[in-house]
Amino acid sequence: MNVTRYAVLAAIVLVLGGRGIAVAQRAAADGPGALEGGWVRLDTSGSGDFGGLTARFARAALTPEGAAKIKPQRDPDDVDPDNRPHKAGEPYIVTQGRCGGIGPGNSVEPNSAALFVIPTRDEVLIAREGPGGRHIYADGRDHPPLSRIVPNGAGHSTATWDNGDLVVDTIGLTEGAVTAGGWRTPETHLTERYHVADDGMHMRITFTWTDPKIYARPHSYAFEFERLPADSYAFENWCDSGDPLQRQSVVPPEQLP
Amino acid sequence: MTVRLTMVAMLWTCVSGVASAQTRPDLSGYWELTYLDSQHVPKAQLAARVTRAVLDAQAKKDAKAIRWCNILGMPAIMASPRPLDIRQTDRVLMIAAEINAATRYIYLNRPAHIGKDIFDPTTNGDSIGRWDGDSLVVDTVGFDPDKGVTAIPGGGFRTANSHLVERYRLINNGSMLSVTFTWDDRGVFRTPHTYEFRYARLPRDYEARLPLNCDPFDEGRTAFVTARP
Repeated sequence: MNVTRYAVLAAIVLVLGGRGIAVAQRAAADGPGALEGGWVRLDTSGSGDFGGLTARFARAALTPEGAAKIKPQRDPDDVDPDNRPHKAGEPYIVTQGRCGGIGPGNSVEPNSAALFVIPTRDEVLIAREGPGGRHIYADGRDHPPLSRIVPNGAGHSTATWDNGDLVVDTIGLTEGAVTAGGWRTPETHLTERYHVADDGMHMRITFTWTDPKIYARPHSYAFEFERLPADSYAFENWCDSGDPLQRQSVVPPEQLP
Repeated sequence: MTVRLTMVAMLWTCVSGVASAQTRPDLSGYWELTYLDSQHVPKAQLAARVTRAVLDAQAKKDAKAIRWCNILGMPAIMASPRPLDIRQTDRVLMIAAEINAATRYIYLNRPAHIGKDIFDPTTNGDSIGRWDGDSLVVDTVGFDPDKGVTAIPGGGFRTANSHLVERYRLINNGSMLSVTFTWDDRGVFRTPHTYEFRYARLPRDYEARLPLNCDPFDEGRTAFVTARP
């Protein structure tokens, strides 16, 4: 009888204790565990094209100084136009065929390629289906002084966990345009909040740009993502600058009379 | 008796669960090949069909890949002159390099390779990993024979039939990572070709540097890499 009582007591202790540990571990691990995996960006507005994806975002409210910084940006891969008309059927080259640089370092904003987020104790690694990765330090370190950062497409990122969300702070980005009429310099702060929905299958990244020299108020917008199926895997983008077909051309079509 | 057995079973379950979680080493960190003492690479025993002409043709393809800044792939990524960022969870181990090589994804929760009818060959191949004691054993197939740099340290090159097995193991109290590579490909090697790299763990405050740039339209660079010595 005593044995039975002890057994029941031990079972209760084990079960409750185990649950307590499990609950505590889940609370601490839910953010990284939920965020880990592959994600693909969604076209939630049904725009059907990349320009349309951001067309409905609220435009940035710029300071006069910020507005003065805005200037058209040219893709360095573009070929200088020859400024002459081309007959129908006469192809002409418009890009050099330069393959992209290395990985997400080119941009803090995901494109159509899948995004893979790997949260570990000290660092969150975000990679796509090509070279490189975005290294987000989650070990409590601060940004180095701006004077020590070579501005680049990924900047310098640190992160904290806030109620299950990953909150990333980035400075040191290359000067240039920001989605929905914004602008950035290396001093500009970008805050990203990665929030996974309760269903575990959807994620939102909210981007907020803050820079009193450029923005009258923080400039914010969000991208939506869907989790890749469990049996999916990362592809590998291939691009060969040595392949003549990589150079994109335009062929003017015949015009209707 | 039944109660005792139940108790024992419950305790064993708890203890073994904790133990299994604790016995898997965490390879996460930045790892760098050290000076010339970090690579033990014997000369490969090449198959008879791998003639000088075959090797020259393959070397020519590799040179073209370097000339045009193609992504390098395996095994070149593992010989990166820059640190590798290795990040591990229960489901995947990723290896990101600071050179022009696609990030490696090693799936730890998938027991079999993607079928050949589905998987398009890549420069890194399809990698799955399993733990064998304190070693992570990574099995890779599905290599693209024509993309990237295919040369294998010690001789030979990867082909569509190459089968690579890697063993990752922490040594020196976790300050070093030993990776043993074994390439098996009857079309290239007479016997499986094995070599070992040892990587030093970098300090935890290491910060990844900007990736090495490669510009295929840099004329000076092109002249340099295509010139005959």
